Amino acid sequence: MTTGFEGITTASDLIDILDTIEVPVVAVRRDFLIACFNKAAADVLGLSASDVGRPCRTISVLAGLPRLEQQCSQVIADGVECRADFRDGDRWFVVRISPSTTGDRQISGTVLTFTNVTAFRASTDQAIYEREFTKSILNTVADPLVVVSPDLRIQSGNRAFYTTFGVSRDETQGVPLDEVGNGAFALRTLRAQFEEMLAGSHAFQPVEVEHVFPGKGQRTLILDAHPLSVPGHSKSRVLVTFQDITARKQAEAAKDLRSEEELRRSEAFLAEGQRLSVTGTFSWKVATDEITWSEQLYRIYEFEIGVPVTLELIRTRVHPEDVSLLEKMKMVDQARGGGEAFEWQYRLLMPDHSIKYMHAIAHAIRARDGQLEYIAAVQDVTVRRISEEALTRARTELAHVARATTLGTLTASIAHEVNQPLSGIITNASTCLRMLDADPPNVDGARETVRRTIRDGNRASDVITRLRALFGRKSTTTESMDLNEATREVIALSLSELQGSGVILRADLGDDLPLVTGDRVQLQQVILNLLRNATDAMNGVDDHPKELVIRTERDNDDGVCLSVQDAGVGFAPEDIDQMFDAFYTTKSGGMGIGLSVSRSIIERHRGRLWATRNNGPGATFAFFIPCAPEGDRRSADTEPEHAMGNR
Amino acid sequence: MAVRSLVSVVDDDQSVRESLPDLLREFGFEAKAFASAEEFLASGYVDQTRCLILDIAMPGMSGQDLQQELTRRRQKIPIVFITATGDETVRPLVLERGAVECLFKPFSEAALLGALNAALHVA
Repeated sequence: MTTGFEGITTASDLIDILDTIEVPVVAVRRDFLIACFNKAAADVLGLSASDVGRPCRTISVLAGLPRLEQQCSQVIADGVECRADFRDGDRWFVVRISPSTTGDRQISGTVLTFTNVTAFRASTDQAIYEREFTKSILNTVADPLVVVSPDLRIQSGNRAFYTTFGVSRDETQGVPLDEVGNGAFALRTLRAQFEEMLAGSHAFQPVEVEHVFPGKGQRTLILDAHPLSVPGHSKSRVLVTFQDITARKQAEAAKDLRSEEELRRSEAFLAEGQRLSVTGTFSWKVATDEITWSEQLYRIYEFEIGVPVTLELIRTRVHPEDVSLLEKMKMVDQARGGGEAFEWQYRLLMPDHSIKYMHAIAHAIRARDGQLEYIAAVQDVTVRRISEEALTRARTELAHVARATTLGTLTASIAHEVNQPLSGIITNASTCLRMLDADPPNVDGARETVRRTIRDGNRASDVITRLRALFGRKSTTTESMDLNEATREVIALSLSELQGSGVILRADLGDDLPLVTGDRVQLQQVILNLLRNATDAMNGVDDHPKELVIRTERDNDDGVCLSVQDAGVGFAPEDIDQMFDAFYTTKSGGMGIGLSVSRSIIERHRGRLWATRNNGPGATFAFFIPCAPEGDRRSADTEPEHAMGNR
Repeated sequence: MAVRSLVSVVDDDQSVRESLPDLLREFGFEAKAFASAEEFLASGYVDQTRCLILDIAMPGMSGQDLQQELTRRRQKIPIVFITATGDETVRPLVLERGAVECLFKPFSEAALLGALNAALHVA
């Protein structure tokens, strides 16, 4: 401590202590002259030894305290210390001006201590800035926000809060939240939820609140709350937010209305579409037999609209001959595991005994609960069916006429060719007899007529040879072919005819068939003939399903076998010998040449055609043909089997 | 003995043209054979022919065409049609148009004689 201050110079210990503290201390006399200062004052404020005894106001560093002399006078007069802010460049100090007393308790002057508050002041400034910044952000938020105490008393809100609820800051300060807004938030659950949230047991569940605002009408608000906890502060506060979802609610309501309208429109579309296309739809839950029936289907079935539809009710309409068909279709589908679309045709027998033809397409789906459900579209194809039947009849008649015409032409042609030489033979023979009977016999003439007879005989024989050539093996075209593919083509061609006859066709085509060499068209004619025969044989059947099975399989590595099994009238054991004869038939409209032609075609392929009686009803016709008929073996061998197989 | 009646045969089939005239001669007729209707019309034997044995189906003019042509020329030659087609419907058709008979090949000697007698009787 610098010397020159009366009364304390004796306490050298105190001087040493003052010199060790980092806070500048300056002593000022009653006459405002610098009495003394410590080391920190010299270091921090830049005072020098020569400053002792100079008036304060002449010390440049103390210019930051312009009212120092008045303040010192006041302290001396009152005996009470005062504080002043002091700035030196970037540094901020708080100056404490305290009275200094002598040993006899007389106030001899003042002591100034300079506490550096620069760092503190900066953080305070920052805090003020942050607060103002946050406040302006909160005020720009359009949704009302309010901070409340745990007992729901309002502490402060943002601008939107006050304007939305039409209240002022002053009148709501400290008011419980459930008392503002005409008690809109006086919800029983609100306080309970607050307590649970603050206890940390449950998060706050947003609450939807309807509130009528003066001039704005009814609004829907979502009230949410979040605890605001400051680390180190036990006192919690809660931020309550309000979100106005009125516009969104109205948009949703409008959308609901719109989708309802769209739904109505698409339902109307569907109904009109069903009416125009005469197509109805239904769904059938198999486990519960719950059936949903479209309006158009009611009309098609001529059920009174709204009557609960049951399987029993449906059965009263389905043609008795087709009931088993429906059951069968279901079983077939289930055997396949469902899921695939399948279609079938059946008839309805209406109360007035008229018949309607139905075409149904259905598929099974697994509902969410794993239950099997059928969805089906059923079209009334009666009109189409009737015209189709007329067309088929016309076509059949035409085909018959064409066949008869062809056969007639052929017969006439054969007859002409044969009758000419026969005529010559008979005439010559007659002449010959007459010449030999003459007296004397005209032997030369007779010899000439015999010569001509032989010539004409040969001519007749040539005609037969030519016919053989015409219908013989040479006219066939052979190719390497897949019998399954050929069979599938025939099935495709016959399907509507088969379904029209109520026949359920099952194709069981072997998947390892070798290729065969033959005339594709001729073999297809045989297959078609067998299918037609089988269908015709089941014409009168009504006590069991008209099931037809067409099967192909490999036969002992050297050929393939195709069989057609029907459930028809079958045949008597004694008929089996004549069955393959030409012009033998049990059918009223048949010509009886199908089986005989079929057998000759198969034999031309070096195969066999035969018939067996089933154990149950009906018969099975089958043929076998070797893989490669003799003579074609080489070409068949050079063609790899897999090139055409299993398509 | 009276002059033999001329029977003309018109047929495109060679064996008929060779065999039938021989038989007709054995019957005691004069016989001429022609391969077509055109050949017959051009032959100059039309007027002398007492009976015409005529095939129906021939290339060029058919038997029925020749029948019409003769009617048009007012040649009233009795005609016996012969045919190999076996089509029975043709018979009433030609008879209606004035043919004496229609024989289906092959025909018997007796049938031919019967037809010839009928034809010449008409004439």
